Amino acid sequence: MALTLNVNGTAHSVDVDPQTPLLWVVRDTLGLTGTKFSCGIAQCGACTLHVDGAPVRSCSFPVSLAVGKAVKTIEGVSTDGSHPIQRAWKELDAPQCGYCQSGMIMSALALLERNPNPSDADIDTAVTNACRCSSYHRVRKAIHLAADLMKERRA
Amino acid sequence: MKAPTPNRREVLAGAGAFVLGFWLPPRAAHAQTAAAHGAAWYSEPAVPEINAWIVVEPDDTVVIRIAQTELGQGVWTSNAMMVAEELQCDWSKVRPIYASANRDAREQAPAWTLQVPGNGATDPNGGGEPTFGNRARTGGFGIPDSLYRRMRTNAASSVKDGRYYLQLAGAEARERLMLAAANEWAVPVDELVAKDSVITHAKSRRTTTYGKVAARAARTPHPNPEAIALKPPEMWTLMGTEQKNLDIPMKVTGETKYAIDVRVPGMKWAAVKSCPVYGGDVKSFDFEAIRAKPGVRGVHQFPIPDPALTRGRVFSGGVAVIADSWYQAKTALDAMPVEWTVPPERAAFTTENMRAALKQALDEPGRVRVNQGDVDAAFANAKRVVEATYYTPYLPRARMEPGNATVLVTDDRVDIWIGDQSPQETRFSAAQITGIAEENVYLHLCHLGGGFGRNGNGPQAEQAIMIANANRGTPIHLLWTREEDFIGTTYRAMGMARLKAALDDDGWPLALEVRTSMQEDGFGPDASFDVTSRYYVPSYRFSNHTTKFHVPVGTRRGVGQAAHEFYRESFIDELAHAAGKDPYRYRRELIARTELPFKADMIKALDMAAEMAGWGTPLPRGKARAIALEERGVETGGSATISAMVHTVSVSRDGRVKLERVDVAHESGFGLVNPLSVKKQIEGQITWFYNDAMHQACNIENGAIAENNFNRFSLSRIDEDPLEINIEFFPTNHWLVGMGHDRGTSVQAAIADAIFQVTGKRFRELPLRQHDASWS
Repeated sequence: MALTLNVNGTAHSVDVDPQTPLLWVVRDTLGLTGTKFSCGIAQCGACTLHVDGAPVRSCSFPVSLAVGKAVKTIEGVSTDGSHPIQRAWKELDAPQCGYCQSGMIMSALALLERNPNPSDADIDTAVTNACRCSSYHRVRKAIHLAADLMKERRA
Repeated sequence: MKAPTPNRREVLAGAGAFVLGFWLPPRAAHAQTAAAHGAAWYSEPAVPEINAWIVVEPDDTVVIRIAQTELGQGVWTSNAMMVAEELQCDWSKVRPIYASANRDAREQAPAWTLQVPGNGATDPNGGGEPTFGNRARTGGFGIPDSLYRRMRTNAASSVKDGRYYLQLAGAEARERLMLAAANEWAVPVDELVAKDSVITHAKSRRTTTYGKVAARAARTPHPNPEAIALKPPEMWTLMGTEQKNLDIPMKVTGETKYAIDVRVPGMKWAAVKSCPVYGGDVKSFDFEAIRAKPGVRGVHQFPIPDPALTRGRVFSGGVAVIADSWYQAKTALDAMPVEWTVPPERAAFTTENMRAALKQALDEPGRVRVNQGDVDAAFANAKRVVEATYYTPYLPRARMEPGNATVLVTDDRVDIWIGDQSPQETRFSAAQITGIAEENVYLHLCHLGGGFGRNGNGPQAEQAIMIANANRGTPIHLLWTREEDFIGTTYRAMGMARLKAALDDDGWPLALEVRTSMQEDGFGPDASFDVTSRYYVPSYRFSNHTTKFHVPVGTRRGVGQAAHEFYRESFIDELAHAAGKDPYRYRRELIARTELPFKADMIKALDMAAEMAGWGTPLPRGKARAIALEERGVETGGSATISAMVHTVSVSRDGRVKLERVDVAHESGFGLVNPLSVKKQIEGQITWFYNDAMHQACNIENGAIAENNFNRFSLSRIDEDPLEINIEFFPTNHWLVGMGHDRGTSVQAAIADAIFQVTGKRFRELPLRQHDASWS
């Protein structure tokens, strides 16, 4: 069944079972492999992307629910790493293995887009992605730095 | 219809429709790899190499081939730094790529790399010899003499084991580049200076760049590479500085290609179910029930992978469904009836009966490893005896990227796209399973989404090779579900320990007896207790008490040492409290009384951590500090790694435990290559062992792992990360064993002791969250 998806500002027609999780459509049908699979049960957040600006765990989100909405993946943040959140991540050398980082960045970005100046407690509540290497210490600092860089960009 | 017999195999629908597996010359193979990855980062350069590690392109880009796997530890950067330090190239133009495991099967290492890193190698500062933590493919100790020598990524040894030959590779190339310039200008080579990829002849005011002379250097052998001297640490300009990891930019855009991201033309996906009880196999399955499902192409039953290929470990037999997409394969497999044949003695295992067996083993004589003084007499005369029994559960690696591999087998060649901590062993497995020589096995290495212990231990590659071998001509991408990853991993063995001490009137130990029990193939049974006690005691006995269990155990970050440091440091805290002494000063005094080779370094670590943390300054009610020592190798005097940490912990009245702050004093040994990577690894390991202390356990129910996804198996999130981590290094002058897997172990005993200080409750069984830490 053909569905129309808007991903990173581009419309795609995809012929998939409407129950297919959005993750697999993004990764396998559209070839955007930056979004990762890890637990498959919406626990770890490696598959986090945005649907209409809200962070969604795409491994457990049927593609049919994304029809008519704007999907944004890590590839839609910027492909050259120039977005303030990516610059902050690089400045703090935040990732280790990096596998969870697409999801981590998408969760943090969703937070920053609705709360330009998050406290540590705000971060604790909003960024619930799992990282096995434990990049947490640098991710927290990077979120604060990204908040500053995003303010500069708006100014 | 039920499958009547094992070994039933469905031929792939459409198999052979696209045959990619014709032999490709190396250049074309690399082009194919690059196309599969779709990233220039992975492409092999098109100009001749200077040596096997280094290619300099005309624009001065320096390509450095890395023979270890990047799994977050920063090895792409640290290995490149060791080469670039000697090469004296422009660091901003360094591009790492993976070394070829295929070339490694075909070529011998250059003679000059074989002489330096042998056991005769000592560092120029007199820091002694490194002890190599590596094993040859066949299991013997030592570094292979194939082209890239050690391709394994394990035992926190990449920097230590590779340092001499990687520095030498950089130096050999530098000398040849300078020789090429000297030949071109017809001047003596010793009049030239090389810096940042520029070669200068001051007398004639001429300069050239590495890129301009690289082609000539590639044809210019060095007359005597054995004589090239390496830079000692005081001459380093790049090594020892904090360098950001070179692959980070690709990790913030989603561009990094992990094995799960590999796409090869014509590729089919395989979803797998293997028997949840290790040693079990498929009894029957009903492929007809799912044959018509969308995308389904075939089914393949595979046996228990040959234990000779998985270091003796017995995993399970299973069945794979092959489909156009992984989601189709997985949903079809979920719907396919499968029955298992389970050996009843294996299905009878439960955490409870395994614990009982370990406890019983502690009461049996065991294998005495150390027996100093007269332990029995000391206990017979003791006025005061302290005894404690500790327990640690099975623990998985639970890396974030589930096990996966893409394999294409044709009649005379195997291609494997994989993130792998032991590509030389995977190459061997491929040859054994397919009958195709190792020289014709091509591994296309990818970054790993976490490793935490030689993921080659698990059978992901072997399963994928078996499935692809049965479907020659079709690339098969096997991907485990998270639940399957919990079956395919190896575990840190569950363990128990009973420690017993006789104390004198002042509270100092007169005798110490340590009994540890774990299954007989568990890793690190002697760690932390062998040879002699780290804390002074006149009479000391240490024994191992083993059992036989069926769970495949292996190298998990920290191995047995992590559990043993929980036992040892917890017990020292218990003794200090029993003696009414300060746990920091108690440790300090007991180390000072030993004759251990690195006791001054251990004391320094304790002193520094205590000072950093403000040890002894008052804390509000509900907060406590605990200190612990972390050491590996201090009993031998060769290589060692020493650190101490103070953990500041709060415990709320309703029993919520929070790690607030960590102060880390870590030695620098005979040079840290990239201190930034070391800091990141320390931060990561604090959380790793925090999870071991607080959250994680895998229990056995009916012979199978019970906690097999992140709903039941807990991983801490950012809200539990300590807001303050202070890391400082202090100078020492010996080789580090490595620091990638057994730092931060102190957090386990420290949290337990902090809870004791706040609540008066002593918990000796991990994870701690099972206990009630409330107080009033």
